[in-house]
Amino acid sequence: MKHSATPLVQLPALIFNLGLLAGAWLIVPAGGRTDWWREWRAELWQARNEYAYEQRFSWSSECAIASFCLGAYQDAVCLRRLHRHTRTARPVHFGAAWQCILILATLLGASYALMHVLPGVRAKQQLSHLETRSGLVLIKYTNNEDSLPTISSGQYRAWKDQKQEFFDGFAFYRITKENVSWDQLDRSRDSAGWGVARASSNFFTLLGVPVQFESSAETMAPDIPSLVLSERAWRTEFGANPEIVGSKVRLGSLAARIVGVLPEGTLGLPGNVDAWLLEPDSKAVPGRAGYVVAHLSASGRSRMQSGSIQITSYAPHRTPDDLLGTSIDRDFPSSRAVFLFAILLAFLALPAITSVSVSDYSVSLHEISWARRVYRWAFLVAKIALVLPTVYFGAVDIGYGFTGLDTIHAMYAQLAFSLFGCLFGLSWALSDQRRRCPVCLERVAHPARVGQFSRTFLAWSGTELMCTGGHTLLHVPALPTSWFSTQRWMFLDPSWKFLFADPVQD
Amino acid sequence: MASGKNPDTKLSHTAAMILQAVDAGFVYGFSIMEMTGLPSGTVYPAMRRLERDDLIRSQWEKQSIADAEQRPPRKYYKLTAAGRTTLENSRKRYPLLERLIPSDEARTT
Repeated sequence: MKHSATPLVQLPALIFNLGLLAGAWLIVPAGGRTDWWREWRAELWQARNEYAYEQRFSWSSECAIASFCLGAYQDAVCLRRLHRHTRTARPVHFGAAWQCILILATLLGASYALMHVLPGVRAKQQLSHLETRSGLVLIKYTNNEDSLPTISSGQYRAWKDQKQEFFDGFAFYRITKENVSWDQLDRSRDSAGWGVARASSNFFTLLGVPVQFESSAETMAPDIPSLVLSERAWRTEFGANPEIVGSKVRLGSLAARIVGVLPEGTLGLPGNVDAWLLEPDSKAVPGRAGYVVAHLSASGRSRMQSGSIQITSYAPHRTPDDLLGTSIDRDFPSSRAVFLFAILLAFLALPAITSVSVSDYSVSLHEISWARRVYRWAFLVAKIALVLPTVYFGAVDIGYGFTGLDTIHAMYAQLAFSLFGCLFGLSWALSDQRRRCPVCLERVAHPARVGQFSRTFLAWSGTELMCTGGHTLLHVPALPTSWFSTQRWMFLDPSWKFLFADPVQD
Repeated sequence: MASGKNPDTKLSHTAAMILQAVDAGFVYGFSIMEMTGLPSGTVYPAMRRLERDDLIRSQWEKQSIADAEQRPPRKYYKLTAAGRTTLENSRKRYPLLERLIPSDEARTT
């Protein structure tokens, strides 16, 4: 096709006109775009031929041509409206295989995303980074509960100063309630009732726990005690601002400097702590009871039995004290291990709640091609492959994100949710598969009751469902009998086609 | 899906003008625009509706003719039988229609 060439001076204007038409082209229904574009290109040629000067640029003529091109938008909108009105209304039916996969993939993505948003779940993920040293024990009197502070600071100092056979390090802490105040953005702020653990200065070194944003001791004034914030207090009170490290706060009448943030997670120690005040042992108030954490020596480890060690403390002019060292090593199974256990339980329990058969019982002589069979099985596998991780992420979200439980209870919650999720997820995957047309994998619809239940043994009674694509009819017996125990597919021959609307093309 | 229009249906003045222009021999969009003085945003949508109602029918010009005139092929429109009947009715309704856009014969005489 040879058209008369556009003069170079008019080329930018022509490109602009074509750009306008292209914008309108996008509005035109897909089926008519080629024809529409061809017509408007021809009309634009005619308009330019009529309005534009041959060898010079004229604003007035270009405005007229642009105005002509803008009419294409009204034309495109008109075509779009006509198309909408002439289109055959197709019944909405959310049953296609791709829709099912899309919904499952969306659920999987949502549960995965939620895992990264919920603070409790993030804390669980960080827990692995918060592993304490091995061989740590919490020392208490034999007859006392774990949660009660029983060891005095004087006793701690005495143990620390003596040579020990079973231990090579001690740390002490006691929890007090303090009113905390600090300056933020030239404003004085205060917060009442913080749980402050007044700990010996070697506390984190003994536990082997890393502290975030930790500032070096050299930059700090040695006369001011150091304060390590819990991540929760850092987020809620200081807006997760890392610049807060190095600033001064007041705990009641005592000044302290923030030196770092402890990553969220449980240390496995008793007490609800918002901040850890590290002070030299000389400043510890004598007589006040607290908790003592000790690190076992090689000899001590050999004496450990079932996570605990019996200790007898001898002191001059006193009767020996019987103490118990309980391991604070947390050996919880990982969330993946919990989930795998739940899957195992679910697979064992599945036959008890649903039929695991997805076989075809055809009442007509119709063979499904191998490709279709593979496609059908691949769809089932894809559903299960999407359901299981969704259940995993969902159970972790619920167990750790919403319940606010401690680690051990959250783990049980995760196990329970995983088990029920897997059980019902797998059950749904199988029952959904049984309701999908073996030819097109769309869910059968339009259930119709056939026969009378009271006449089950005299005539057929049950439900019939139809594939909206016109491929199959599904017979589901109301009461399984020896002659009709499971559902059956009837493949429809082409004589049924007239009942089904042709798919509408956009 | 075409929805055939009753020839007795009353057309708007614009639609009647376009139908008259097609009958008068202005058989592609730009020429109808030029003849009627209507903007492109009015003429083309109106022609889509007339075509939907089976009052006009479109046909692409042969490529060889367009090539000979060194331009892109045009989409030509012509009246259908229903369109002709509707136009006759519209002329009675709008008596000035023929004077605004004289038909081929009137222009040649």
